[in-house]
Amino acid sequence: MSVQTDTIWGGALEKVKTWARVNSPWAIHYNSGSCNGCDIEIVAVLTPRYDVERFGIKLQGSPRHADVLICTGPVTLQSRDRLKRIYEQMPDPKFVVAVGSCATSGGAFQGCYNVVGHIDEVIPVDAYIPGCPPRPEAIIDGIVKLLTSLQAPVKATTKGESA
Amino acid sequence: MSADELLQKAESLLAGLAKGTARPEPNRLDAVIQSSDLVAAATALRRAGWGYLSALTGVDLGKDANQIEALYHVCEGDAIATLRVTLPRTGGAVPTVQAIYPNALFFERELMEMFGVTVTGLADTSHLFLPDGWPEGTYPLLKDTDVRAAAAKTTGSEPPEMGRQGDRFIVPVGPQHPALKEPGHFEFAVDGELVTGATVRLGYVHRGIERACEHQNYTQNLYLVERVCGICSHSHANAYVNGVEQLAKVPAPPRAQAIRQLVACLERIHSHYLWLGVASHEAGFETLLMYSWRDREIVMDILEQMTGNRVNYSASILGGVKYDVTAAHAAAIRRGMDKIEERTKHYLHVVTADTSFLARAQGIGVTSKEEADALGLLGPTLRAAGVTRDVRVDAPYGSYKQFPVKSIVDSAGDLAARFKVRMLEVLESVRVIRTILDGLPEGDLSVKFPRKIPAGEAISRFEAPRGELFYFIKSNGTDTPERVKIRTPSICNWIYVLTKAVGSQMADVPPLLAGIDPCFSCNDRMIVVNRRGGDRRIWTREDLLRDASTQIRR
Repeated sequence: MSVQTDTIWGGALEKVKTWARVNSPWAIHYNSGSCNGCDIEIVAVLTPRYDVERFGIKLQGSPRHADVLICTGPVTLQSRDRLKRIYEQMPDPKFVVAVGSCATSGGAFQGCYNVVGHIDEVIPVDAYIPGCPPRPEAIIDGIVKLLTSLQAPVKATTKGESA
Repeated sequence: MSADELLQKAESLLAGLAKGTARPEPNRLDAVIQSSDLVAAATALRRAGWGYLSALTGVDLGKDANQIEALYHVCEGDAIATLRVTLPRTGGAVPTVQAIYPNALFFERELMEMFGVTVTGLADTSHLFLPDGWPEGTYPLLKDTDVRAAAAKTTGSEPPEMGRQGDRFIVPVGPQHPALKEPGHFEFAVDGELVTGATVRLGYVHRGIERACEHQNYTQNLYLVERVCGICSHSHANAYVNGVEQLAKVPAPPRAQAIRQLVACLERIHSHYLWLGVASHEAGFETLLMYSWRDREIVMDILEQMTGNRVNYSASILGGVKYDVTAAHAAAIRRGMDKIEERTKHYLHVVTADTSFLARAQGIGVTSKEEADALGLLGPTLRAAGVTRDVRVDAPYGSYKQFPVKSIVDSAGDLAARFKVRMLEVLESVRVIRTILDGLPEGDLSVKFPRKIPAGEAISRFEAPRGELFYFIKSNGTDTPERVKIRTPSICNWIYVLTKAVGSQMADVPPLLAGIDPCFSCNDRMIVVNRRGGDRRIWTREDLLRDASTQIRR
């Protein structure tokens, strides 16, 4: 996407876009081989005790409406292509959060024959949240850190050109 | 009937068919059966109403012996009869017992994929369990298979685009799906709103844990099996340690047993609350999801306070438990249980009295007692149909003799009954937790446990929140198990969804699916039903009922 940022209007537009992006990120969740531990903690994050909607975060059904892909678990051979496909279906700019030890490193399932490895062996990852499973507070913290980094200049994010 | 009487009856039923019998444990019978007599043996047991097929274990005896064993574990009450069929390592064949035990379909598929045994008489013998691109002729549970090389050769894993298939319209669901937090791919053939066919393709979460267990020591495996499923992690750990302790003949001290049961009860409460939320979400009752998950946090706090972790709490270790229940913990648990009891009574009222809820749940997916038993269902799904089968009651393990549990049964057999049964089970768990706290035995938390486990075979059954969990552990005298077989309850309940979806409205399918409390990460260690492309076998209600009833009719 090319937006002129050298004019006053362009700069203002960029600010508005970042403001909107940071205040209403829509997320999609995909479990590519997780034991369910992280998944239930993600659901816990959405429910009243942790209530992540106060940050404007909403879990979305379709990848085409989502800004953030929340991944859990190691990637299995059968999930690999589907994970790539979900990522490719998301519109730019898009961000990936790897939740849990398995998603960040393969965790306990490293070396299992049907496991390809961790998420960033398949798609680029912007934020890693370790833990087996991470506490809901840690998941919220990770997502908020990702959102904070969006407010900084775009090159602060790991992917550089995507935004 | 006692286990001994039951086994004597089984022995007399198998007389003439068994080439030899043994009693490895007081409650176990091993009967050596030739593959040509397998159907006759299974029919003899089933016709007499002796038990249900709990699991089918394949064991590779190694290159030197050049044999594979297929073990059909049939359970009745406390007793376990194992039909032991020995097959050559290459080109072995057994007849299908699907007509006698419908849930054998899943087990037999596993045997074919993992060991290369041919199961004759199966309608669809195509490549099933592993990723779609898995190389043919490679069987991951044979000891000498180079699984890494096979995995490296695996390419492509996407199901084809769906839509119209001849004159049938197919609604594909998943694997990424807004309503399910785990991936599974379903295809529902529909005629208008009516579902006329249903298939399921699992395996998106298959990781290969059973193979990994053969390459780690007993202690390392404890942490791995705990991660078969994050929801019932304690059930897996407990079933596993019970089995290993049986083999080592080193039981955990009484206080440790009681603490294990306490954590199991807490796990049942959090799992049932989790399910209540997810199931009501599927039925469009979002408010109940939010309320039940809010109240679930009470139990999560207790678990965290006791063990330091909310989900994979690692309470059990080999030979005992890691954490004690202090007076402060006990007080916190009692306070929490008071709240849980009050809230559960409220939810019980909601699921039995709310008219809009009952409109979505009453009379949906009804199973009769006979059908539930014939399909081999387990857990609350089975008990909601009026069958009193519960390992905690039938074959009490650990401290369940000291702190007995009442089995909750409902005769309605529909979706509403499953809500009711689960809520009553929560209340029962609350009661049991209080009795455990009142009578918690004093003593050590753990005993010294050997690193090397004597050679032998052990079967451990555990009533997880979703139903009977089955572990088969074979030891070869070293610190690494020879074989660990895990059969989870969800896999036995899938057959229910496939049967009941056919003939119901498309809108009833999500609650039906959620009704069994499916746990993909549990069963996906192993299982896939029906393959993409090729000749697709659609399960119809008639198929299953015909299969289930032909040979069972007395």
